[in-house]
Amino acid sequence: MTQNAEDMELKDRLNLIENMIAEGRRTTESWGWTFVLWGVAYYFAIGWTAYNQSPWVWLVTMVSASILCWAYIWKRRRSQPERKPGTTIGRAIFSIWAVMGISMSLLFLGLGFSGRFNQHIFVAVVAAMLGVANGASGMIVRWKAQIASAVVWWAATVAACFGSNEQCMVVFLVAIFLCQIVFGIYLMIGEARARKQGASHA
Amino acid sequence: MLELPELNPVIHGKLRLALLSLLSGVEEAEFTWLRLKTGSTDGNLGAQLLKLEEAGYVSVEKKFVQRKPQTLYRMTEAGRTALTEYVQALKALLGGAIG
Repeated sequence: MTQNAEDMELKDRLNLIENMIAEGRRTTESWGWTFVLWGVAYYFAIGWTAYNQSPWVWLVTMVSASILCWAYIWKRRRSQPERKPGTTIGRAIFSIWAVMGISMSLLFLGLGFSGRFNQHIFVAVVAAMLGVANGASGMIVRWKAQIASAVVWWAATVAACFGSNEQCMVVFLVAIFLCQIVFGIYLMIGEARARKQGASHA
Repeated sequence: MLELPELNPVIHGKLRLALLSLLSGVEEAEFTWLRLKTGSTDGNLGAQLLKLEEAGYVSVEKKFVQRKPQTLYRMTEAGRTALTEYVQALKALLGGAIG
């Protein structure tokens, strides 16, 4: 074998390693819909609270959204013949969101049943927690769009500490719209494009 | 004269190299997923995975999930070290040929 042919063979091996590592990390999972679902759930809970101040409102809405979310994920996983292997990055991101969900549920429970619900504090804490989850996820995957979403939540955290109750609610509604609905749809469009490319690649 | 490194023959096989590279990016993988990604036949894939297992580069776990058999493969520390050394050796051999 000539030196040039040997080099080509070795380069081919190097390319194979890079392609296979990328293939292992490639994900066809879609998560944009969860942002939209939770955004709609927040709007639903806010709307319901306008008619009913019961401490159960947020808890019932969040638990229902969780059940919907898990049911869909479970159904989707069952329908896939080949289970996608987990990655360390995937587990880290899942852990962040799961822990944030538990923290938020405890916050809703505590504030609701203690009767010490304060709209400003509630919005500030929820926005801060969503900022943490989005910021950490965005930094792990080095995704500027999600870090920008975290910045919007952090801005909402600060804004919620000032102004009237109505202004605080407007801040929350705008943050939900931008970081859940708009970001979720943007993510879904990106995922659809990636799936299309993946299908043609396969 | 500078001595060139030798390439690990266990990893050098194309399918075995592909398998180790795939496993390096995930925590564990099912046999069926590895087959899908490599496009290999069951027999060849099983034989190459056995060679990697014998070399201590992958570990295997067999279990039943919802009454269906499932074979899971994981890269071991020895496998990770071997792949890293292989890549370093490749780069050393290629020298200035890689940009």
